[in-house]
Amino acid sequence: MNGLERDKKVYGVLQAISEASRCLNCHEPPCSRDCPADTDPGTFIRKLKLKNIKGAVRTIKNNNILGGICGALCPTERLCMKGCSASGIDRPIEIGKIQRFLVEYGWETGFDAIQKKGFGKGRIAVIGSGPAGLACAAELAKNGYGITIFEGREEAGGVLRYGVPKFRMNTEFVERELEDVFALGVELKTSARIERGGADRLLSEGFEAVFIGTGTWSPARLDIPGSGLVNVTDSQKFLEGMRSGKDIELASKIRGKNVAVVGGGSVAMDVATTCATLGANKVYVIYRRSLREMPADEEDLDLALAHNITLRTQSVVTDLLGEDGVLTGLKGIETDWKSLGDHSAAKLVTVPGTEYSLKVDFFVRAIGMRSEEANKGLSGLVEDLPNGLVKTGDDGVSTTNKRIFVGGDAARGPALIVQAVQDGKKAAECIMKILEENKSGGGACE
Amino acid sequence: MTGKDLSIEMCGVRFPNPFLLSSSPVSNTAEMVARAFDRGFGGAVFKTVHAGRTKIIHPSPRMAGYDYESQKLVGLQNVEQISDRSFEDNLADIRYLKKHYPNHPVIVSIMGFSEEEWGLLARGVEETGADMLELNFSCPHMTVEGSGMKVGQAFELLESFTRIVRENTSLPIIAKMTPNITDITEPALYAKRGGADGISAINTVSALVGIDPDTYIPHPNVAGKSAMSGYSGPAVKPIGLRCIAQLAQCKELDLPLSGLGGVETWIDALEYILCGSSTVQMTTGVIHYGYGIVEDMIEGLSDFMDSKGISKVSDLVGKAVPNIHPTDAFDLDYQGVARYDLDRCVGCGQCYIVCRDAGGQCLGWNREERRPIPDDGKCVSCMICSFVCPVSDPPMISYEHVPGKKEIVPPVSS
Repeated sequence: MNGLERDKKVYGVLQAISEASRCLNCHEPPCSRDCPADTDPGTFIRKLKLKNIKGAVRTIKNNNILGGICGALCPTERLCMKGCSASGIDRPIEIGKIQRFLVEYGWETGFDAIQKKGFGKGRIAVIGSGPAGLACAAELAKNGYGITIFEGREEAGGVLRYGVPKFRMNTEFVERELEDVFALGVELKTSARIERGGADRLLSEGFEAVFIGTGTWSPARLDIPGSGLVNVTDSQKFLEGMRSGKDIELASKIRGKNVAVVGGGSVAMDVATTCATLGANKVYVIYRRSLREMPADEEDLDLALAHNITLRTQSVVTDLLGEDGVLTGLKGIETDWKSLGDHSAAKLVTVPGTEYSLKVDFFVRAIGMRSEEANKGLSGLVEDLPNGLVKTGDDGVSTTNKRIFVGGDAARGPALIVQAVQDGKKAAECIMKILEENKSGGGACE
Repeated sequence: MTGKDLSIEMCGVRFPNPFLLSSSPVSNTAEMVARAFDRGFGGAVFKTVHAGRTKIIHPSPRMAGYDYESQKLVGLQNVEQISDRSFEDNLADIRYLKKHYPNHPVIVSIMGFSEEEWGLLARGVEETGADMLELNFSCPHMTVEGSGMKVGQAFELLESFTRIVRENTSLPIIAKMTPNITDITEPALYAKRGGADGISAINTVSALVGIDPDTYIPHPNVAGKSAMSGYSGPAVKPIGLRCIAQLAQCKELDLPLSGLGGVETWIDALEYILCGSSTVQMTTGVIHYGYGIVEDMIEGLSDFMDSKGISKVSDLVGKAVPNIHPTDAFDLDYQGVARYDLDRCVGCGQCYIVCRDAGGQCLGWNREERRPIPDDGKCVSCMICSFVCPVSDPPMISYEHVPGKKEIVPPVSS
C-alpha cells in the first residue's frame, strides 16, 4: 500500500551515495545547526560521500544513540532539511533516509560505532525507557557511569514501542537500536514501575542522581455523552494495543466497520492510516479547526489521505450514540471562528443548523496526551507544575533538586522524539558536571 | 532525426557521418556491427582480426568499471584480447557486412604476430571488400609477447610492419597509436614513413582502476592476479584530445586523423573534430548505453552545425588547433576577477571553503545571511569557486577581465 514501505530499507549503498552526492557540502551547514540532538548531518553526509562510511555511522551514533529511529521518525522537513541549501537548487537532501541507511548499514556490517570514554564511575537511575531515558542512559554509560533503567511496562522503548504504529517503524528496528544502548552495559529493569516518592528512595539507596523520563501517557479526555460506550477508546490504548498482542482483536473490531478518529495531529493520522490498513469500511478524521491549523506533519496527513480517509475539518463531536452499551454512531456539528483573523481553538463557535450524524462502530480520541497520574510526585524534592509536568530550570532539564533531572515529554509535554534525545543528552551532561564538581565542591549545571 | 548531411571523407573513403564503432567488443561480429549501422553509425572498425595461428582466449573476468560517487562507468579497464574468432569467420562476417551495407565503410583492425602474418592479413582482408585497414600497434595488454603496444613503443618495428602491409594492399592504412608514450607524434611519423595514410588515437591508457582493499588484488581479479591494462571512457577523453591535437599540430605528419577516447556525446565528438579528427570512434559509450548513443550524436551535431551556419563537417576539422599554444605565449598582463551574481546565491558557502583552503583567501563570510563577501582587490581569479558553485544556467560566478589589474601575490605570514 502507498507509503507503507516506510518501515523498509530505503537505500542501498549506491543510492545513499547518490543522494549524498547532491549535498552542497555547506560551510557551517544549516542541517547540523538545526538538529535538536546535534546529530550533525553536514559531517556524516560528507563522510558518506568520501566513502568513510564507518566514520559516518560513528558520527551519527555517538551524537545520537537513537540515530536510526530519528532517521525513520523525525519530521526532518521541519528540522534538518528545512534550511538545506540544496533547496535553492532543486530540493533538500533526504537527510532522514541517509541517516537511517547509515545506522542500518552499521548494524548489518557488525560495526560497533559507539566509543566508550570512561569506566567505573557512579550509579545513576533512569526512570522510563523512552527516548529521553535511553539517550540519557547511553550518554552516561558511554562516559563510564553505571546505569539502571526502571521501566514500568513489560518491555523497553516507551513511546517508541507502544506509541508508534508498525507501518512507521517495525518492532525489530526499535529493538535493534535499543540493543546499542544495552550493549553499553546499561541495566534494564522492566515491570518496575517507580511509585510516588520513588525517585527520592532511589537517591537514598545510593544512586547519585536520578533522571525522570516518564513521558505523557494519559490521553486528553473529551467530555461528551457516550464516552463510556464499548468500542470508544483513545489513541494510546489503540496504538499500544496494536503493539502488544491485542492487534488481532482490534483488527476484528475495525475490518469492514466505520471508524471515527478525533484529532488533527500526526498521532490522529497514524491511527486513521492504521485503521484504513486494517480494512475499515470508512475512516473519518474529525478536527475542530481548519486544514491550515492542522498540526499533523504534511507527510503523515498525505499518507492518511492516500488511504482514502474522509477528513471533516471545522467539525466537533457532540454525542456518542449507542445501543446496549455499544457504540453505533455519533452526532457532530460544524464550527467556525468568532471572527476571522484569530484562528485559535478558543475562538471556535459551533454553527447552528450544521448538525450531522454518522454511523460509526469504533471511535478513537487522538487529541493530545497529558502526564499520567501514576507518574506524578515521583519525587517530593522537586516541584510539579499544575499540569502535571515537572518544573525545570532554564536548561530545560534541571529541577529544584540538584540530583534529580527530567526530560522529554515529562518536562515539555508532548514533543518530538529528537527533543527527548536532546533532553536526555543535556541531562547526562548536567549530571556528569554536577557529580564532577561535587567532588571538587562545585555548583549547578547551567 | 534531422536529415542533415554529416558525411565526410577520410583517406579517400566517404563516410555517411563521422561516428564509427572502434575496434573492440562492440564491433565483434557482423550481427553487432549491422545493428549499429541500422541505428545510425556511419562506419565501424571491425574488432582486431589475426591470422588464426595463435590461440586467443579472453581472461575471465575481463573488465572492471570505474565509478565516481554514484556515477557508474566514468572509466573502464579491460584485459580483453583481440578477436578470439578464426580468421575465416571474421572474413566471412566482413564480406556479409560489405554485401548488406555497401555504403557503410568497414575498416578492419588487424594484428600480426610476425612479418608474414601482417602481409597475409592485409591480403585476406582486402579480398572481402573492406574499405580500410587499421593497424593495431597499441593494445596495452596483449597476452601474446611482443605484440600490441609493445610494437607501438618500438618505432622501427612499427615502421617495418606498416611497410609490409603497405606492400600487400592497395587499401588505405591507418595506424592506431598508444598514448602510453612520451610524444605520440614520434611513432606516428614512423608509421607515415612505413606508408600509413592516416592515424587513429588513442588506444587505451595503461592503468589500474582500483584495488580490492580486502585482498590487495587490483580489478579485474583474474583468478587472484591482475594487470596494468587498457583504461577507457570519459575519464580519458582529456588525454585523447591532447594526443589528437598534438598529432594535428605536427606539420611533418600532415595525415588525416581518426580520434577516440571517451566519446559519449556529440560534444565529445565535436571536440575531437575541432582538434583535428575527421572521424571519431567509440566503445565505452556503447558499453554504457548501447548503440543508441549515435542517434544523439547525429541530432546534436546537426543542430549545432545549423545553429552555427556550418554546412560541412569537414569545415569543423581542426578549428581549435590554432588556439592551442605553448604556455609561454600567454599575455600575463591580462588579469581579472571572479564576478558573483549574489542575487541567485543559495548560501551553501562552498566558494568560501575552497577560496580559503585552496584559493586566494579573498572571500569573507556573512554568517547571518549565509553569503560570501567577495573582495576584487584580493581575488586571484583562479575561479575554483566557480567550479564548486552549484548555481548554473548561467553560472552564478563568472570570470571578468579587469583592464589594468595587477597580479595578486600572497602576503607573508607575520
